[in-house]
Order: sequence, then C-alpha cells, then structure tokens
Amino acid sequence: MILPFFAPYDPRVWNVMPRNLPPSREHLLGTTNLGQDTFWLLTWATRGSLIVGLTVAFFATAIGVMAGLTAGFSGGFTDRILTLFMDTFVVIPSLPILILMASLLQGRASLLLISGILVIFNWPWPARQTRAMALSMREREFVNTAWFSGESTFQIITKEIFPYITGWAMANFVNTVLVGIATESGLAVIGLSSLEEATLGTMIYWALQHQALLREQWWWIGPPVVTIVMLFIALFLTSTGLSERSAAGRGYQYAHT
Amino acid sequence: MGFVRFLLSRILIYILVIWVGITTIFFIPRLMPSDPVEAMLGRVMSQGAFMEPEQVQALRQSLIASFGLEGTLGQQYVGFLKRVLLTGDFGPSLAMFPTPVMDLIRKAIPWSLFLLLSSAIIAWVIGNVIGLLSGYYRHKVYSRILEAIAVTIYPIPYYILALILIILFVYIKPIFPLSFSVQGKFPSLQFIVSTVYNSILPALSIVIAGSGWWVLSMKALSSSISEEDFVRFAKLKGVGEGKIMGQYVLRNAILPQITMLALVLGGVFNGALITEILFAYPGLGTLIYTAVLQADYNLLMGTISLSIIAVATATFLVDLLYPFFDPRIRYR
Amino acid sequence: MRARCQPVTLAFLVIAGLLLGACAQLVQAPAPSLPTAEATPVVEGRLTEVGTPRHETLILDHLDGRVDNPTQFNPYMSGTRFNQGYHQLALSNMWEMNTVTGQQFPAMAAEMPEPLNEDYTKFRIKLRQGMYWSDGVEITSDDFAYTVDMILNTPEFGYSGFLKQVVKSYKVIDRYTIELETLRPEPRLGYTLGVTVWGDAFRLVPKHVFEKAENPATFNFYPPVSSGPYVLKDVDPNGYWFLWEKRQDWQRTDAGMIAGEPKPKYILVRFYGPEEKRVIAGIQHDLDIFTDITPESWDILRQKNPYAKAWYDHFPWANLDDPCERGIAFVIPNSPYEKKEVRWALALATDIQKVSLATFAGMLRVSPLATPPIHILQETYHKPLRPWLIDFAFEDGYKPFDPDFAVKMAKTLRDQGIEGIPTDEQEIIDLFGVGWWKYDPEKAAQLLESVGFKRGADGKWLLPDGTPWRMTINAPANFEVQSQRLAYAVADVWRQFGIDVNVQAMEAGTFWSSWSNGTFDAGSYWPGCGVAPDIYDNMVSAWHKKYIVPIGQPAPGNAVRYESDTLSAILDELSFLTSDDPKTVELMREFMKAWVAELPWLPMFGTSKFVPVDTYYWTNFPDANNYYEGPWWWWSLFKYMVPKFEPTGRR
Repeated sequence: MILPFFAPYDPRVWNVMPRNLPPSREHLLGTTNLGQDTFWLLTWATRGSLIVGLTVAFFATAIGVMAGLTAGFSGGFTDRILTLFMDTFVVIPSLPILILMASLLQGRASLLLISGILVIFNWPWPARQTRAMALSMREREFVNTAWFSGESTFQIITKEIFPYITGWAMANFVNTVLVGIATESGLAVIGLSSLEEATLGTMIYWALQHQALLREQWWWIGPPVVTIVMLFIALFLTSTGLSERSAAGRGYQYAHT
Repeated sequence: MGFVRFLLSRILIYILVIWVGITTIFFIPRLMPSDPVEAMLGRVMSQGAFMEPEQVQALRQSLIASFGLEGTLGQQYVGFLKRVLLTGDFGPSLAMFPTPVMDLIRKAIPWSLFLLLSSAIIAWVIGNVIGLLSGYYRHKVYSRILEAIAVTIYPIPYYILALILIILFVYIKPIFPLSFSVQGKFPSLQFIVSTVYNSILPALSIVIAGSGWWVLSMKALSSSISEEDFVRFAKLKGVGEGKIMGQYVLRNAILPQITMLALVLGGVFNGALITEILFAYPGLGTLIYTAVLQADYNLLMGTISLSIIAVATATFLVDLLYPFFDPRIRYR
Repeated sequence: MRARCQPVTLAFLVIAGLLLGACAQLVQAPAPSLPTAEATPVVEGRLTEVGTPRHETLILDHLDGRVDNPTQFNPYMSGTRFNQGYHQLALSNMWEMNTVTGQQFPAMAAEMPEPLNEDYTKFRIKLRQGMYWSDGVEITSDDFAYTVDMILNTPEFGYSGFLKQVVKSYKVIDRYTIELETLRPEPRLGYTLGVTVWGDAFRLVPKHVFEKAENPATFNFYPPVSSGPYVLKDVDPNGYWFLWEKRQDWQRTDAGMIAGEPKPKYILVRFYGPEEKRVIAGIQHDLDIFTDITPESWDILRQKNPYAKAWYDHFPWANLDDPCERGIAFVIPNSPYEKKEVRWALALATDIQKVSLATFAGMLRVSPLATPPIHILQETYHKPLRPWLIDFAFEDGYKPFDPDFAVKMAKTLRDQGIEGIPTDEQEIIDLFGVGWWKYDPEKAAQLLESVGFKRGADGKWLLPDGTPWRMTINAPANFEVQSQRLAYAVADVWRQFGIDVNVQAMEAGTFWSSWSNGTFDAGSYWPGCGVAPDIYDNMVSAWHKKYIVPIGQPAPGNAVRYESDTLSAILDELSFLTSDDPKTVELMREFMKAWVAELPWLPMFGTSKFVPVDTYYWTNFPDANNYYEGPWWWWSLFKYMVPKFEPTGRR
C-alpha cells in the first residue's frame, strides 16, 4: 500500500524501460514486454486490487449484514421483500451480467465502478447467511431471555446479536475481499476490466496477452499470481484468527459459507 | 396450518424471484449500447463486403424485421413474456439465425450437466473428506499440510490454474487431447469412452479449483464443532474416534455444506464459462459467452433465464428442506 | 503463534514448488521431431483426430471459433457461417479477386460482365461451360435465374434488400447466357456481384435442391451441394471441426479449370481454442495454416517448430498487405474534433515510432493516406504522392511530413539487435512505409493554443472553455488484436502529451454500434480499406457527405460524419468512371490530397497479419518470395490457392 509512493515514475506508462529484461539489480523483477518495471508495476497492482477488494468487502458485508438482520428479526412483509431481493440477486448469474455491465462502463474511474457492480452481486450472500443466523438466534435462549427482560428489538440487535455476529461478519469481510480481488482479476483475465488501471488481474491479462506463460517469462506472470496467493493466505489467517477469538468468547462459531 | 402458509408464500416468492430475474435480464442487454443488428452489419463491414448506403439501410431493415426487434421496448417485452410463458420458446438465435435458441440450449445442456455435475460432486466429496479429516485432527502435521495446500491452490486464478494443467498434460506430457473432439455417435461405446477421455482434464481443473473451498469451509466447521461440549463429552464417555467424527462432527457440519452444494448445483446451468472457453467444451458456458459477444439477445435470455430458474428452484428446495435439517428453525 | 506460522511456511513451499515445477518443465519442453527421425520410414503414417491420413490432410485454423449451428449451410440465412471452409472450398462466386494484381477475374462467369449500353445499366453475363454441382447436375443459367428469383422473393433473407436495389430484371438467353438490367448505372458490376475482399454474398445455389425445399427461408441445405472443388465429408456435431473431401470430379468446377488439381485429399478446418492452444497445436504439427496470431506467439512457434514459416523469413515476419489500415477515428461534429487544428495537433503529438513498437514491436508499415499501404496501393498512391507529401505545408509554411520515418525506424530496430532489416533505402521504405507526420509536440501545442486551448497548472490540456480535455478511445475487446493494442499505445503517447485519455475495450456488438451511431469520442476503427487500385467503393462509403445522418442514428456510411463538398464532388465525378479508366486513379490522387489537407481521420498503420504455416506436411504456401497470392486463407480465393500446395511426403 505504501510502496507505490516510492515508485520512481508511474509504472503504468509503457516503454519507459527496455523490454523483456530478466530480473536484475536495477529491475528487481525484470521488465515486461511493454517496457514496464515489473516490481513497481506489481506494487501498484497490489494496491489497485486491494482497493477493489476492500471496497467490495466493506460495502457488501455492511449492506448484507444489515439487510439480513432486518429481514431475520422483523419477519413479515419486510422479510418477504428483502428475501425477494436477496434471492433475485443470488439467482441471476453474475458473470454474464458483469461482462454485459463491463461493456456499459465508460472506462473512467472504473475501479470504483467495478467495485460498485461487484457489491451488487456480493451483498446477498452475507444477507442470506445473516438472515438464517438471525432466524436461528431468535429461538436461542439468550435472545429469549433478553426479550422477556423487556429489551427493545433494536437493543437486542445491537447488544445481544451484533457482538455475536461480529466474528462471522469479519470472516465474511475477509473472504469477500478475496472474492472481490478474484472476480476483478477473473474479469480482467478475459479482458473486461479497466485494462489501463494496474491491478493484479490486469497484470495477468497483459502477461497472458503477450504469452508470458508459453514464453517462460515467469518474472512477469509469476509475481501477480504469487501475490494473490499470499494476499489470500494473509487474509485467511486473519479470518481464522478472528473467528477463533470470537469462538473462544461465545463457545460457538458459525462457518462462513 | 403454519406449513401450508409458509409453503404458499414461499411459492409466491419463488415465482416473483423468477419474474424479477427474467425481467432484469430482458432489460439489461437492451440498455447496453450494443445492438445485434449493428453487430451483424459490423461483421459484414469488417469482412469488406461493399454496399451502397441504401443497401445497408435495406439490409438493416430486413434484419430488424427478421430478428423481431420492431416496436417499442414495452411491446417487445410483452411479446417476449407471451412467447416464453405460452410456448416456452425463446425465439431464434440472432447470431445463428434462424436456429431456435431452444435447439442450441438443448444440445448444450447434456454436456454441461455431465461435466459440471460430476466434477462439482467429486470436488464436494473430496473437499469435505479432506476438510473433515484436517478439521478433526487439526493438530496433526498432515492436517496442516493439507490445509496449506488448499490455502495455496484455492486463490490461484482459475484461468492460470487451467492453463498450467493444459501446458503440463497436453504440451509437455501429451496425455490428454489438445482440444475437445468426441468420436462416434451417441450411445456407442466409442462415444462414451472418448467423451470421458476428453472431459478428464476440464473436470480435473474444476475439481482442483473447487475442492479448495470445501476443504477450508469444512475444516472451519468441523474444527469448531470438535471444540463443542457435546463432542468433548462423548470423548470423555469413551465413544470411538471414528464414531465421533462420523456421528457427531460430520452430521452437524454437513448441513451448511449441503445448502451450499444445492446452490452450486443449481449454478451448473450457468455453465463454467471460463472452463468451457479454455477447454473448448460445448456446454452452456460457451453458449452464454457467444451470446454476450454477439449481443444475441434471444440466446442470452434463453440461457440466463434457464439458469435463473435452476438456481431459484435450488434455493426454493433448500428453504423448504432447511427446517428438516435444523430443527431450531420454524416455518414462519 | 507458532502453530499458525506453519501453514504459511508450507504454503510458500507449495507455491514455489508449483511455479518452479511448471517453469522447469517448460524449459525441458520436448524438442519437435527433427528431420533425422525420417531415416526410418514409417509405413503407416499418422492419422488425424478424425481418422484421415495426416499426410493427405491439410489442417486449417478456424479463428471464428466454434460454430454452434454446424449443419446450417443455406448461404442466405443471416446466421450461416462461411469461414469453416464453406466459401473457401465449396462455394464459388461469379467474379473473383486476385490480390497480387488487384484485378478481378471471371470465376463461375466465363468473362467479366459485358455492358450492353452507354449508361451501364444492361449487361450480358456468361457462365463458364462444363461446371457441375457435386451431385452431378450441370450448373446453368437456370440456377442463376432461380437464385436471383429466390432472393428477391424471400424478404427473410437480409441480402434480399440489397439485391432489390440492384436488379431491375433479367432474361435467360440460353443455357449459359443471362442478360441483366440494373436499377442504376453499375460501371463496377463485377464489384457489386463479385468478390472484392474476403468473399461476396452473391452465390449461386442449385435450383434442383432448393426448389424441393418447402420454404427457402428455413431450409438448412444440409448436407450442402458444392460448386467448389471440395465437398463436405463430415462435421463435428458440436461445431469444432469440419472435414472437407476433394471431389472426384474436381475438374468440373471453375476452380479446377482455372487452378488445376488440389493435392490435399482432405481439408480439416479446426478450432482448437484460445491462442495458447493453437500455438501448442502448431508446435505438435497439428495445424498447417494459422489464421491470425500475435507477434509473441509467433516468436514461440518459430523457436519451437523449425518447420514453421511466416510471410517473411526475417523481420517483420508478418504479411503487411491486409486490405484495411488502422488508426484513430473521431466523430467530427463533436467538439473539439470539428477543428482541423486539433486533429493535426493530435497527429503531431503522436510519437509514431513509439506507438509502432508498443503495438506490434515495430512490425508495421505506416500510412499517411486514407488508403491502406498494401503493395498495389502503395505503388499507386503512397509512392507517387510522396513528393507532394514532402512539400505539403500548412498556411504558415510549416511542413508536417517526415519522410525519414522508415530510415529512423530501421536504425532503432537494428540498434535493438534485430536481424534482417534491409539497408537499401528503397527497400526500407517498401517495408516501413513512405513516411508519416513529424513527432513535434511543440508545434502541436502551438496549434492547440491557436484555437484557444490552454495548459492547466498540472501541465494537462484544457479545452477553450477551460474544462479539462478528456478523451475516451474505443478499442476492440477480444478481437482485432492490432487495433486493440494500437488504442492503448496511442493513449499512452497522448497522455504524455497532457491529454486525459483512457481506453475502453468493447465487445464486437457494442464496438460496432458506437461506430455506426457515432456515439464515441475516439476509437481505433478502420474506415480505410481497399485492395484494387480503384478504391472508389471504399472511399465513397467512408467519406461522401450524402451518407451523413445525425449522431445517434445508424449511419449507412461516413460514420465519422465528415462533411466536405470538395471530397464529395470528386467522388461524384468518379462514380461515372469504370475501374480501368486512367482518369480514375488520377482523380483518386486528387481526392487523397484534398483529404490529407483536412485529415478527417488519423490513419497510422497498415495491418500486419501473422498467418504462419507449418511446412512439415505441406509446402509451397505463398510468402514474400513466392507471392502468387496473399496469405488470406479465410477468403473465398483459397480454392484457387490450394492446387499450389505440395505434399512433402512426410507421414
């Protein structure tokens, strides 16, 4: 996240460096066929992907949890309408729609726009899960106890349910970061993201476009793939850590399916 | 009766979901700046056939007429709903005019079902077995290794994973065919053998990519359940390890996994777009991709509507059956 | 903490193992079988995947991808495909194009259309005698008459609308002669009903087959009856391959009579999938002719398969004679592109050498004119106009042309260690083009300032109204790689000049809709096409003002909506001349000059096509030293090329 600011120049610009150099002291990870320094490009790409991932995860989780809790606890008509929305978004296959949408985007500021579209397709999952949890919790002892001791629904949600759900929501958040990064790179790999922005996906796209894999130009294709894997491992460990902590507190933990 | 009321309202939601989904899918492509007629004309243009402007205009008119794209959006929508509801007909494909969309879909479905169903289920079984073992014996070294492998492979972009498989098993060690090519006609043995042979590599890629998730989620579920009091209690009581794992842990952990499997299986109709493109496999994914690229509205609506109905049905069934799995939830 | 670190370490090892494993394996990729392997002759040769002997089968790369409706062969249904071997092998046209000379020749017709009146509205058309359909029925003027009637009477066919604008009436004179009357003067009737590029939609159908069909509009015509030297033998029900077999009576076709016997007994047209897989197929000798690959893939193929050949045996490898040139187009009525100064400023702000390197590693020929820099047209227009281009000056006397582009480009590439760059200046110009506009950002800035543009504090350009100048360049998303890369390369250069440019990759449907509706800022479109010296057809549709429609409506032509009385007047004058009239070329050169002064479009490069071949099983494919035809196997002219191919005897 910080490294990009140290980049000696904008690594997205083409033909600044000689092309196709293998790694060396000047170019830690070599240069690409388009005359970019792979190392600095990678730093920008990682930041780009993280921006997408974090934005998607934050909004999808926040919207999802809110919608799920509301639906689960209010029941009745509100529940029906919210469920209808959740289910509709779950059943519409996202990839073709994303491909269609990608052709509608006018390119500009599209990292944010792409994140926005990914949010549309990612909030229903946590929403459905949260709703299911809320339904199940409504029947739990501690909620009933709180109910009978006269707390309002809002109080119950914030005081009793929310802490209970935080661990799960964090895990979902972390997982959605990854989904965001992965979906964006998936789109990019088939050429449908904003290809001028540096993200891990677009980096892979250009590398594949120039046949880096068959040409054994591993210093171009390898770094973004390894970075995605390492990002995931980091996020995964964070999420496991978080759920273990919350599990220790509550003695029970829901898996983030 | 709670159940009857629940069922009725659930059916209503089911129908509404499908209707909203199909309506969305009708309008979204039409809001796009792309147009099947212009796409067709563009193709003619880029192939260099010269036409006088009046001739281009005439060609455009006759394409619009034969594609059934006359009238306002509203009229088209009403016509579309009528046609689909009354006859289940999505009209002719625009890119493959005049082949009916349903013919194309009917041809693609068996392929997708065969490849995706089998590999999704294999991935599910493998993933859950590994996940259960590594979750239950979570302090053992091999459990850590299994988890590490799953954690590493799962996030590799599918496209790269599949490409590496192709390079390994088609180019360096040419075990599998380069591209999908089935010999023989349908029920013959030759056909079945070559179909299986041709499907191994794409299936393998899906299994590898897919099971990672099941490993991770199953591991999380089973390890937390193993910490629960009733499991500890059973252990103290001297119940056998195998029995604890099978009876106590698995039975509790498998519920969410089944829920999820239902959704994944429903999504099979969606086709594994990238798999099918990369392996040149003749399923629904390829069809959807063609439809998007060619702005083939009818084909797009046909394939996606089908997918919507399939997933909606899957979630509907899960919702109906969920209370049977988890008695804590009541119908409401 | 310790327990948690373990998976991380392990994961690292696994990643490293995976990647290194894959890389190490790649390095050890098996060398393709070398000639020594032939020392022991194999009695039984290899078989193709469809069971034909490999040494009797020619395998072509079907770039269009999978055909979802592989049993649809009615040539007038709009969803019928032709590149799967259909029009290359089994459908003949009336008049064909020789791409070396740029001249049409009679194919199914016995001679070029013979005008019967001064107005060019009545013609005599003679069919070649002795041609037969593959089912043994003779091809006669009845088939011609039936085809025309069927098209005119079947409005479901898209082509029907076209033909109704051409044909007024016809008369069958005898078994091989037809007299045709047209609705308007058609001095170029051969162009209207015959091949200019790729193929032509007017194709005869067998009367005896079609008249039995209930409704020609829904008749699939499967299996197709062929008028070419091959006939469909088998087809993959999933549409990935098509197998064509040589006709026993191949000499009873126009191609057989004109070009002789084709050697391959079978021709397999195959779609293998994405580029990676096509390259692998090429390395494994499972693909004889490629359609279109990137320079990077060609590099791999060249290194891994010693039998692979491209158009040239050295740099630039690719064939540079594709009939459409690439560049950046604007919608002219849109501000600020309506100003000539802005268009010229953009030209001068383009470091064309940098763009060339980023697009296709310098393997491109520049063109400053509205017509592609292919061999014939380069001789007809670019070279004769070069002195004029060098002298061409703005009102202030500034001369924008840089005649030394080719020489400089050759030096740059030589400095990069690339071999095979010619040293003779004439040859260098033949290779890299006659020159392009100077890279002169200062003059470009001056031009912009002269029409009210200013630089902002950050060095970026502001429009005359003070708002930032933003531009979106449309690019093809996953087709036409050269245009796609060109858009990114130009955007990169213009950004450095201080314009806020971004590129929008678009799928074919969207890309073409924006083009004809004029709903774009800029785009890497290619309105400059042409093969024959008479490029009237291409120029009139691209630049005549009569085709201009408001933005938002699909344009029948002139999609950039450039209105010029001068250009239109020249075109009107041209419309009454025949192709062989010497005045045609002369007037067309005047057109080019007037066009350059206004620069309504920014042409940059001719199109470089990498159409490599594998000479392991077949040889004598066309190339730069053996230029009997262009490399465009996906054109209908392919059937006249096949007889040149020779088996190598390898099995």
